Formats: sequence, C-alpha cells, structure tokens
Amino acid sequence: MSSILWPFPSPVGLLSSLKVGAATRLRRWAHKRQGTDPATTRLIPRRVYILPTGVGIVFGIMTFAMLLGSMNYNNNLSFVLTFILVGIGFVSMHQCQRNLVGLELTFAGTAPVFAGQTMRYCIAVTNHSKSARRGIRLYREGLQSDIHDLQPGESKVFILPVPTDQRGWISLERFGIRTLFPFELFHSWAWLHMDIEGLVFPRPAERAPEPPPTIVAHGHRQHDARGEEDFAGLRKYQEGDSPRHVAWKAFARSGQLLSKQFAGADTSSQWFDYDDIPVGDVEQRLSILTRWVIDADRTLEDYGLRLPGAEFVPAHGETHRRACLEALALFETATE
Amino acid sequence: MARPRGTDGSLLSSLPWTLGALAISVAPHLPYLPIWISAAFFGCACWRYMTEKRRRALPSVWFRALLALACFLGVLATYSTISGVGPGSALLAIMASLKLLETRKRRDQFVLLFISIFLVMSSLLREQYLWSLPYMIVSTIVIITAWLRMSASQSETAKQSFLTGGRLLLYAAPLAAAMWIFFPRLAVPFWAVPMDTGTATSGISDSMSPGDVSKLSMSNAVAFRVTFDDDIPEPRDRYWRGLVLTVFNGRTWSMNDPYEGPRIHEKVSGQGDPIGYQITLEPTRQPWIFALDMPWSWSLEKTFMGPQQQLAHARPIDQRIAYEAVSYLDYRTDVGLTSYARSWYQRIPDGSNPRTQALAKQMRSAAGSDTAYIEAVLSKFNQEEYFYTLEPPPLGSNSVDRFLFDTRRGFCEHYASAFAVMMRAANVPARIVLGYQGGEINPIGGHMIVRQSDAHAWNEVWLEGHGWYRIDPTAAVAPERIDYGAGGTAFEGLGEAWGLSAPSKLLHELSLALDAVNAKWNDWILGYGPDTQNRFMQWLGMHDPDWQKMMLTMIGLVLGLIAMLSVLLVLRYSPPAKDPAAVLYRRFTKKAGLEPGVGETAQRFARRAIEADALPTQVIQSVTAAYHDARYGSADESALARLRQAVSAIG
Repeated sequence: MSSILWPFPSPVGLLSSLKVGAATRLRRWAHKRQGTDPATTRLIPRRVYILPTGVGIVFGIMTFAMLLGSMNYNNNLSFVLTFILVGIGFVSMHQCQRNLVGLELTFAGTAPVFAGQTMRYCIAVTNHSKSARRGIRLYREGLQSDIHDLQPGESKVFILPVPTDQRGWISLERFGIRTLFPFELFHSWAWLHMDIEGLVFPRPAERAPEPPPTIVAHGHRQHDARGEEDFAGLRKYQEGDSPRHVAWKAFARSGQLLSKQFAGADTSSQWFDYDDIPVGDVEQRLSILTRWVIDADRTLEDYGLRLPGAEFVPAHGETHRRACLEALALFETATE
Repeated sequence: MARPRGTDGSLLSSLPWTLGALAISVAPHLPYLPIWISAAFFGCACWRYMTEKRRRALPSVWFRALLALACFLGVLATYSTISGVGPGSALLAIMASLKLLETRKRRDQFVLLFISIFLVMSSLLREQYLWSLPYMIVSTIVIITAWLRMSASQSETAKQSFLTGGRLLLYAAPLAAAMWIFFPRLAVPFWAVPMDTGTATSGISDSMSPGDVSKLSMSNAVAFRVTFDDDIPEPRDRYWRGLVLTVFNGRTWSMNDPYEGPRIHEKVSGQGDPIGYQITLEPTRQPWIFALDMPWSWSLEKTFMGPQQQLAHARPIDQRIAYEAVSYLDYRTDVGLTSYARSWYQRIPDGSNPRTQALAKQMRSAAGSDTAYIEAVLSKFNQEEYFYTLEPPPLGSNSVDRFLFDTRRGFCEHYASAFAVMMRAANVPARIVLGYQGGEINPIGGHMIVRQSDAHAWNEVWLEGHGWYRIDPTAAVAPERIDYGAGGTAFEGLGEAWGLSAPSKLLHELSLALDAVNAKWNDWILGYGPDTQNRFMQWLGMHDPDWQKMMLTMIGLVLGLIAMLSVLLVLRYSPPAKDPAAVLYRRFTKKAGLEPGVGETAQRFARRAIEADALPTQVIQSVTAAYHDARYGSADESALARLRQAVSAIG
C-alpha cells in the first residue's frame, strides 16, 4: 500500500495496522459474499470495489483549498479551474471502476516448482468490450504482476509470481485484479477466489550424501557403473577414469584431456530408498531424495524410488521424473 | 540518502509533458517574477531533461538542501514577505525548480503537476482577461495529458494520452459548468487577502505636480465602462468625479489629511432629472470610486462620501467591481462655508509663484467681483497665447509662474493648477477635482467606455450665494478636448503614419467590437457575483434564490449528470454488437448439446461433436463449413444465408 501513497506520507503504525485488520475483514466478507469463483469468471459491477488512493486524498484536499481560495477572492475563473478538477475527480472515479467491469479472467495453468522457487500462476484476462482497458495488473498480498493494457477483444496472460516455501499443493486462495487508471486518484479492484492450485516439489538438498551405489541390471555382481559397449560421447577427464578411455586423438588436436563414454547394453540402475537414508527428519530425507532424483535424471541412468507405501521401478525420462517428484511432493501430506 | 541518484531514461516519455505543463503554467508569471527565478526555473527544466536523456546522476541531497535554503532566502530578500500572490507564485516556481532536481520516479511528477495547477490558479488570481479562460483550458489539457503520460504503458502514444485526456475533460465539463453556475457566491470574503501593490497601474494618482516630467497617461486602457439606464449625457456633461485635492505646497497639489482639513460635509441638493447608470470599474489598487458629477446614491457597500463629495471604498479596488449609481447633473452644494474651511481653500504658500500672485491681485481688483474675475482669468487663457499639449516642457521652481508667463503650454493639470492658484491668490476659495472627462459610446455594446487617456483635472470655486461651482479651465484653452474627448487618439497616429485614414478607422472599429465582447465577458463571467447570480437564478425561475436552494439544485444536477456519465461509460465499455454468424453458431452448439471449450476452434469442436455423435456428421460438417465461410471468408451474404439455413434445418 505504501507504494500507492508515495510520495505522500503514509499513515503511521497504528493506523496502518488498523488498515490491515480492516482489509482482512473486508476480504473475508467479500469471499463470503461472492463465494468461490469458477475457473472462468467475468467481473460484474457489484464485485468491483473502489477507494481513493493517497494521491486522490491529497488531490481532494487540494481542490478543497482551491475552492476556499476561489470563494475568498471571489474569482470566477479560478472557480472554473476548481470545478473542472472536481469534475475530473468524479469522472476519474467512474472511469476507474468501468476499467475493470466486464473483464473475463481464466486460470491458464501453472508449472510445478521446487520449494524456494517462485510459482508462476498464469491467468488470462480477456477484454470483450469495444474500448481498451488500461493499466491492469493482478496482485496478491504484496505481490504484483506486470501492468498491461488490453485492446478491444484482446486477451493477455498475466503472470502472478508467488514465492513458495513448503512442498505439496499450494492453492492460490485469493488474488486480486486492480487498476489505477486514469489518474491514480482512485484504486479500483476485485477479489477472485478461484480453485487454483500449484504443485511444489520438495526443496532439493544442497549437501546430499553420496547416492547409493549403482547396481548392474544383468548378473548379480557389483560392477563399475560404465558399460563398455557403444561409444556414446566424450566428457571432461575426471580423476579415476581409466587411461584406456582417454581420447588421445582429441587430446592431440585440442590439448584437452577427454574421456570416452560408453552406453553399454550392460545398463545399470540405482534405487533410492527412503528408509536407507541415515537422517531422521522427514523433510530432510525428502530433500535428499529430491536431490538424488534430479541428479540421476541428468545422467543417462535409470533410477528407482522407494517410499513407504509407494515404489517406482527404475526408469528414465520426464514422466518418470515427474512421477517421482510428485510422490515426494505429496508424501504424507494427505494425512496432515 | 541511500537512494540511487542515477537516472535510467524511464521518464523520457512523460518528462517532456510534465516540463511542458510546468512551462505553460509559469508563463503568465514571467513578467512579474524576478529574473533569477525565471532563469533558475528554465535552467533546472533544461538540465533535468538533459540528465534524463544522457542518464546522468541527480545532485546530492546536501546540494539540494543548500540550494533550497538559498532560494528561500532569495525570495524573502526580493519580496520581504512570503504571503500574497506575487511571493506565493515565486515560491511555487522555486519549488518546481527544486523538485525537478530530485524527480527520479514517475510518482515524483505528481508533485510537479500539483504545483503547476497552483501556478495556473495563482495566475488567474493575479489578473483575468478575455484570453484567461482559453489559456486555462489549454494548460489544463496539457497538465491532464502529462498526468496520463506518467502512468501510461510503453505502447501508448502521446496522441492517445492526449485524446483520452480530452475525452475525460469533455466528460467533466458539464459537471464543472453546473457547479460553476449554481455554487453560491459569497458577498464578502472570509479573510482579507493580501494583494500585490508593487505592480504599476495606470490611472489616477492621489497628488499632482504639473511641471515634473510629463507622465500623463496616454494609455488606451479602459478605466471603466458605463451602461446608462436611459439617456446618455452630453459630452460636455461627462465629468466623472474622483478625488479632490485641496493642499498646495507651491509645486504639488495633494489631498488634505482627513483630520486636519475641512471636515464638515457639504450638503448637496440635486435638481432636474436624476441619471441612473451602472459602472464596471477596472481594478485600480486605490480606494477611489468614480461617478458622474455629482453622485447622489450608489449601490456599493463600504463606500463613503468624503467631505468634498469624493467617493472612497474601505479597501483598495483590487478586483473589477460593478456598481449602480444615481447622479444629478444639475446640483447645488451647501451655501455656507466655515471661516476655517474658507481659509483652508484660500491657502497658498507665501512667496511661492510671486508673479502669479501679483497678477491675480491686480486682475481681481480690476474685475470688481469674483464672477467677473473668474471670467477674466478664463478669457486670458482663451484669448492669449496658451496651448493645449500632451507633451509640455518641464517647469522649474515656481512652476505656475513659469507656466503662466513663459512656457504657456500644458494639459489639464497645468491649467487646473494655474487656475486654482490664481483663484486662491485673489482669496477665492478653490480646489482641484481629479477624475475622468468624456467617454466613448461603443455602438456594438451600447455602453460607454472611459479610458485612462480620458483622465482629467478641473476646478471647483466657491461662490458666495451659490456654493461650489465647477469650472474647467482646459475648456477655455481646448474646447474640443471637452466636446469630443481624448478617445481614439492612439489610432490616429497610426493612420497618419501610413498616410491613410481607413486602417485607423477599421482598427478602431475592431477594438470597439472586442471591447463589446470584453464588457459582456466581464459582466457575465468574471463579474458573476452574488447579485448577478441572484438575477440569473430568478431568470431561470427560482423564487427567492438563497444559498440553500442553489446548493440543493447544484447537488441534484451534479448527481443527475454523474448518472448520465455512468450510463455513457456503460455504453462505451459494452461488448461490441454480436456477429450474426456467431449467434447462429451458438444456436448450433446448443442444439448439439455440447459446450465449446475456451479457445476451442470450430474444427476441433466439430471433431468432438462427431465423435460424441451429437448430430449427424453431415450436418455438423456443413454448419462448420458455412460458419467458416461467413466468419473468415469474403464478406458475402450467401455464406451467412447458408449457415442460417443449415442451422435452422436441424430438428
């Protein structure tokens, strides 16, 4: 709110806390009054609210002072100026409210993120009227989308960034759409309560223990991870790589030490088991498992995930990764 | 203080408009502002723009604080006060300049725009002309556009902002008009307002020293306008009485101290028909009220008649005022004169202008009576070599002697002064009246214009058995000055310079037309005060207008207009008329019993409908094809007709 009031003094502590309390009650009242909205909602006049901004209040005081001045000097031209400004104030109020009424909001999806990242809710706003809508933005307590204009018939996707902290489904219980157009004297807004949810994966652990050793799929003996059948590519030489695998020709050309990689028919896989992790905390375990899943996904190896009550056999690819992460995200959330 | 001071060019789209709004609002103040403030303002504006363009840093907070202090002291030193329109607008201009130095965000410009609104308002308080309203509207449009530019998105052009601003102003105009007409006007201000007294005004000063360098006003500016109720008096009767000078120090005539001079009010009795008229007096910043000689009654409050029948208002006239008055052209003053008053009106410094005094005594004894003596002096002016000129030579000490015997050239002040000294030297009570003489009828407006160039000085002498009697010695020298007036002189020179008389005549007529518009403008717009408003309300049909009725009418009207505005906006933001093809297609989807998804194309919907077996495949395909042709094909009626047919064919 203080950004709306700037550069004029914002109300001091008590007043602002009163304001916050009033705003919360007002929002609750609005939710009760409006109910939960469908995924596509058109704004009707009765749910578009309006209040003057700080600038608007200063403007009001200014026009009142001008009125007193005009009366005192009995100056008819400054009466004209004063009344034009008063008229502009009235017009601005109606224009501001009309700038929102009739807009259609549709939830257009969101992509899952890891806890700590910003969830980006996409909401499409469509202007079905024959006049342009200007200076529209979406917001949620303290967070704002970019400002966009909507030409007649135009539909734009507004991205509402919401920071995340915990894994699981987080729902966007409420968000708002607002405008200050035309003169920032009034602040017109509407609250929407759509059933919008986004999935948050657990935060990947920054320092995870070494993943459990790889098991070669064929045979029973434990073996070096790399099969040695088909040449798959080159990678930077790492300590421990066999000198037999160093690409000497490439070294002669570029002076860089590279190792040959082989994708073997002798595929290997890893099992990430919830119970094997020697840490007590559930969230920490999930974090470590998440880290392992992400890292394993980057290599070409199959990996499997074993959680109490769920098992994902070793596999590879986007679907598998998504299924694992989803299971980690929602682990034990239902029982909470 | 930790705020970054760099600029990033983000204001480039809005800053020029803000600067333009400031410039247009400062413009009318420029003639009154000290040169250093104007220079500081334009310097800061240019500097700020270049800073934004080159993305330089803004000055530090210490520099700005120091500069603010210096400017404030500068204003204080220039004006020695900070209240009033002059110092107030100087301070506003300074504030704008300083605010420019720290304007970093879009929002900072709010302060600048509010300052420019106040600057426009203070220029209106300072002076109001015919062009003031157009000026105000233009500057309001610029300010509004700048305001919209401030929060406009990158894609919005300046022209769009300008059009939006114009549209909103157009919406506000009827509201403003209703409020302007019905808002009750006050008869008296709440508190005294300090006005600029520093600005020079042409007009009549309260003393005169004929012989100083000629400073007779040649200004063609209007002193006042008069509308007569019935007949217009003859040119020779158009004496507009102002103030009366009774004290002569040998060189300068001035008014007497009200507690020292004759204090008994001379009673006046009028004869013949009274003349009623209305005067609209331009501001003089002096208390004098002018009226046709001799004023009998007047409608102005707080206006009093002095002992010598001069009218004065309680406060200087710093705004145009209108008043009604009644005068008698034929009047008598009280016959009695106290010995104190008599000696007051006969007093001249001993030893000043000795030649004049000697001549006066000699002529008086030769004449035998006061009346004969007056005639002798007038005929001396008339018959001897005396000339009427607006550019007389300067006179040294004993100015009356120099004038009467040596230079013999002068205008009304010289003759009035010389005549009064001649009278007083011969013990005839005499005084000088300052005012206007003449007046030009404006045939277009039907009113009379009295200009500053009509300023005049004449005498009054006290005759035994008659009282005060008006004598105009200038009439003895230049009778045409009295019969035809001094009006229009400004244009004669121009015509002669070109060897033509037509242009001057045309110009004069044009100026009369402009004057007629100006007079109406003054009466109805600038002079729309409590009286005019009452009259207008009665004309509208309101019985016994008072402020409550007007206020209620105003509120009702404003609410009605707002309701109309809201309907207008609803229409403006309504969805466009539905495409007939879309309406028909909608009927088709309803009949199919399927809801089209958001963003689902007709083709996809058709596929879904066929899969769901909602309608016969052929029907779905033909409707979809016809819809496609009608919506996106060439605009012809046949596709629409086919669609209509296909849809209505569905059972």
